Amino acid sequence: MSSIAPLTGAAQSEPPLFWLRLRRSRAALVSAVILIIITSLALLAPVIEFLLGVDATRVDLFNQYAAPDSTHWLGTDEAGRDVFVRLLYGGRISLLVGLVAALGAAVIGTTIGLFAGYHGGWLDTVLMRTTDGVIALPLLPLLIVLAAIDLSKLGIPEAIANSEMASLYRIVFIIAIVGWTTVARLVRAATLSVRTREFVRAAEAMGASSAKIMLRHILPNVVSPIIVATTLSIGVVILLESVLSFLGLGIQPPIPSWGNMLTNAQELATRAPALAIWPGTVIFVTVMAFNFLGDGLQDALDPRSVRR
Amino acid sequence: MVIGISQFPQGFHPNIASHVALSLIHGMTRRPFTVYDAEWQLICQLCTTVPTREAGTIRDWTTPDGKDGFAVDYTIRDGATWGDGTPITTKDVQFTWAIGREETSGVNNQELYRRMEKIEAQDAHNFTIFWNKRTCDVAAINDFEVVPAHLEADAASDPSVYRSRNAYDTDPTQPGLYFGPYRITHVEPGATVVLEPNPTWWGTAPFFRKITIRTVENTAALEANLLSGEIDYIAGEDGISLDQALTFEKRHGERFNVVFKPGLFYEHIDLRLDNPVLEDIRVRQAMLHAIDRNSISVRLFEGKQPVADTSVHPLDQYHVDDVRKYPFDPALAATLLDEAGWTDIRKGIRHNAAGEPLLLEIMTTAGNRVRELVEQVIQSNLREIGIDLRIRNQPARVLFGQTIRQRQFTGMAMFAWFSSPRNVPRTTLHSSMIPTVGNGWSGQNYTGYRSDVMDTAIDRVEVGCSEEDQTRHWTTIQQTYAQDLPVLPLYFRANAFIMPKWLKGVTPTGHQYPSTLWVENWTAE
Amino acid sequence: MLAFLTRRVLGMTIVLAVMSFVVFMLIGLMPGDPIDIMIASNPELTPADGERLKRLHGLDLPLWERYRNWLGVALSGDLGFSRTYNRPVLDILLPRLGNTVILLGLSSLAAIAIAIPLGVIAATRPQSPVDGAINLFCFAGISVPPFWLALIFILLFAVTLGWLPAGGMGAPDACLFARLEFLVLPVATLTIASLAGYTRFARSAMIEVLRQDYIRTARAKGLGPARTVFGHGLRNAMLPLTTIIALDFGSLFSGALITETMFGYLGMGKLIYDSILGNDFNLALVGLLLATLVVLIGNFLADIAYAVLDPRISFRALEAA
Repeated sequence: MSSIAPLTGAAQSEPPLFWLRLRRSRAALVSAVILIIITSLALLAPVIEFLLGVDATRVDLFNQYAAPDSTHWLGTDEAGRDVFVRLLYGGRISLLVGLVAALGAAVIGTTIGLFAGYHGGWLDTVLMRTTDGVIALPLLPLLIVLAAIDLSKLGIPEAIANSEMASLYRIVFIIAIVGWTTVARLVRAATLSVRTREFVRAAEAMGASSAKIMLRHILPNVVSPIIVATTLSIGVVILLESVLSFLGLGIQPPIPSWGNMLTNAQELATRAPALAIWPGTVIFVTVMAFNFLGDGLQDALDPRSVRR
Repeated sequence: MVIGISQFPQGFHPNIASHVALSLIHGMTRRPFTVYDAEWQLICQLCTTVPTREAGTIRDWTTPDGKDGFAVDYTIRDGATWGDGTPITTKDVQFTWAIGREETSGVNNQELYRRMEKIEAQDAHNFTIFWNKRTCDVAAINDFEVVPAHLEADAASDPSVYRSRNAYDTDPTQPGLYFGPYRITHVEPGATVVLEPNPTWWGTAPFFRKITIRTVENTAALEANLLSGEIDYIAGEDGISLDQALTFEKRHGERFNVVFKPGLFYEHIDLRLDNPVLEDIRVRQAMLHAIDRNSISVRLFEGKQPVADTSVHPLDQYHVDDVRKYPFDPALAATLLDEAGWTDIRKGIRHNAAGEPLLLEIMTTAGNRVRELVEQVIQSNLREIGIDLRIRNQPARVLFGQTIRQRQFTGMAMFAWFSSPRNVPRTTLHSSMIPTVGNGWSGQNYTGYRSDVMDTAIDRVEVGCSEEDQTRHWTTIQQTYAQDLPVLPLYFRANAFIMPKWLKGVTPTGHQYPSTLWVENWTAE
Repeated sequence: MLAFLTRRVLGMTIVLAVMSFVVFMLIGLMPGDPIDIMIASNPELTPADGERLKRLHGLDLPLWERYRNWLGVALSGDLGFSRTYNRPVLDILLPRLGNTVILLGLSSLAAIAIAIPLGVIAATRPQSPVDGAINLFCFAGISVPPFWLALIFILLFAVTLGWLPAGGMGAPDACLFARLEFLVLPVATLTIASLAGYTRFARSAMIEVLRQDYIRTARAKGLGPARTVFGHGLRNAMLPLTTIIALDFGSLFSGALITETMFGYLGMGKLIYDSILGNDFNLALVGLLLATLVVLIGNFLADIAYAVLDPRISFRALEAA
């Protein structure tokens, strides 16, 4: 489920050194290239769809389970739709969900971490106890409850609660509100070390407001753990989306996502294994690439990483 | 022998729980008085002969308050004995009836017991049911499941707690609860039910010394269990989906017998007839002409699920073929939409003179892969003639528990009915059965269909019991249905029974009474 | 010691109380209350019946008061009935809890038993091909969708090779040993998911330890590399690992939910999932609380292990922490 990477908060390194270090990590570089390719292909999905002359939503019952050919690069699925283009469209959704949910979680986590670390005292205790509590909880069953609640009972307008995209908003939201814990802990740790530095002291002496200090002086100095944790959590979110799809609570068809394509193909595993292999593989490769990239970033941003 | 099913029964009381997995198990452990056999004929299992007017076992009767009813005689067959040796008597019948009439007892089919004004016992074996309503199928008491008075009387003394105190749920392995060829000897909730022969069974001793019913909810895993030999037979009543079975047959047909039986699941799309777009019959007809039901049946289900013209199953005694049909014809569909005023095509979507797009919403059960697939085929089909169909699915419990029941769907809802032979469609098509806040959302006429012709035919088919009347009214019902299209008929769903080659004697019925009611005929070669 | 226990028990109680409130409120937001479902399945019930039943079950009250009532009854020891199984919830939950604890326990042990040697091997040869391979394996483990891995295991080991059962629990009356073959695939699936985190942590903790002065001293004194690593390093490296394992119980439980569903293993995770989807509110609520309790106890045990492993830390120090 969640990855437990040994992350240590650290002050920002100088950019040149950072690039030097990142370049040294071949795995991270390869991952970055893979991610760039996957993302651009996903963004270009409509163009590719047009160039190949296929329609990702058009059902063709006379062309089910077609083998790969020059038009259908990866063949067609159980409804005769082009698997390759659907994977690209699914990638848009999965990557979007991963990115937005991870960013949402990062924003929540950063806010909590900054407040806890900067203010300390009882606020710190309460926030960090809560964080520990959330980390320890069995989250998946809770996510299932969250995914099952009736949006209109929350006073969310019918138009949004009932739209085709509702499942997407819901996933992003519920992942963000449970996924902030790693960032919060890291940001708090980094804040604690920055708080006592001279420029913070100076700003305090000049009477700057605490909000201003946190935003202007502390935040820029705790940005690297946020970047690392967010990169890692994009992968985790993509995986989580597929798990929720498997439980019937993910992105709902007809919107394709890697998770629901994989879940869908699962029942057909004996008839058309390729339908399950492709989404499974792209999830695997993408998540792995995010993990390696996050790992590489961490090494590059961590001054102690020379010795590791 | 190990039978694999995909759901575990929710409780074991035959009159309180209601679940296809439970009926499958109780088919082996209990027997109803009457039931439809595999030829769809009404036969006796716990009784001796099916009552008829001719034999004088069905007589006219009038209730004390003047309602027309019937008196019907039954005899409990000789040798019918509970598994603990106590004979089944009319005392049990009367006890079952009394508990069924208690509002708080949790018995699900209370309507059945309310219609039985009283039950009189002549002796230990003969009893008469007095109905306070005249219906043509009065001889059939298939759902009257007798329960043992000698074990249940205590629990039933306070009806409001009977639901949780009854022996079927508190002590399901108690032998005295069963009288079929088998009895339940072990239950592991959520996973397995073990059956072993019941020594007091009246008929031929069953062949298998032990039958284990195993639940594997993930159907891919269920299939894997069959292949790896942990399950011998996947029951068609509650097993894997048809397209999975089709694939399975191709790959493993030499090891297993795969039997497809069109069942009584009628897949259809309910339409909101008060939606201004769907109000126009030409739009409804255009849609049915535009949906390539034949290709869906042939390509997705290899023709194993026949296209439906109406809600009446082709195997039903009163099915008629002479109804309006809607073959796949996009050109005709387009003409119909033009006539209905949807002429202005912009970006492939039709608009009317007021500039409104031809937009409809379809809903079905989220997570049901086959339905979601069919739904996407329909979406694509309708797109071709300029209808913009939006998909919005919900989990079954929300869709059925709320959205459809309270008519909250705005356009179309795709689901299935589980209807029994000769089931009069009163609750689904009669205009008095439209659910509203006022009637507490009772009735199942979710489309809001109102037709005098239909109402009259339904009223008459319930009371005109002669062969001629029945044929006439059933014909009217089917023809009106196909003409008015309150519902878009899709197909009759087929069940797939996957049996090992050595298993003989299993006869799928195609209706809701399971093949296990004849489990004593099953053998191995 | 006593003060430490009291503190922890108090902490757990607070977490459980907060959880019960949050989950109760969330469940109140789920569509379709039990009476609506009852009316849906029985066309003969009138709106008046519905109102009467809602009053009878206290469903007409505001959510907050319903929670207070539930809490009152629950504290008196009556956790209520499951709607679907028609049995008291604990009768249903406790056997499942046992199964889940077996599954979680075995996979935790397996993950630790594999992770520590792997971590140590990687740590002693940093940047070597072996280190790279272990790293790759770890990343693969956390990057594969768990239900997909389970499916591949089933197809490979149960269907194609026929070595292991595809799922289920074995004969109901069999002893644990007879059930072992049914546990292999679920435990393996779950182990792979948590293995990666542990291994990476063990590796970095070990690297950290090997840098310490006392290790250098030990080496300088002429101790062999094996004795240095296992005699001095491992014990110290284990300490942070126990913390991580404690924190991981929650996600381990989440993994169990998937694994149980795929293998038809009758555990709590699957039961909770089914009860949420089946609108069996009471079972879902009590199940979630029980799951939380299990996770909290897991944390607690890990804390004790920490104290036992580290002679420098007494329970007094834990109290202060």
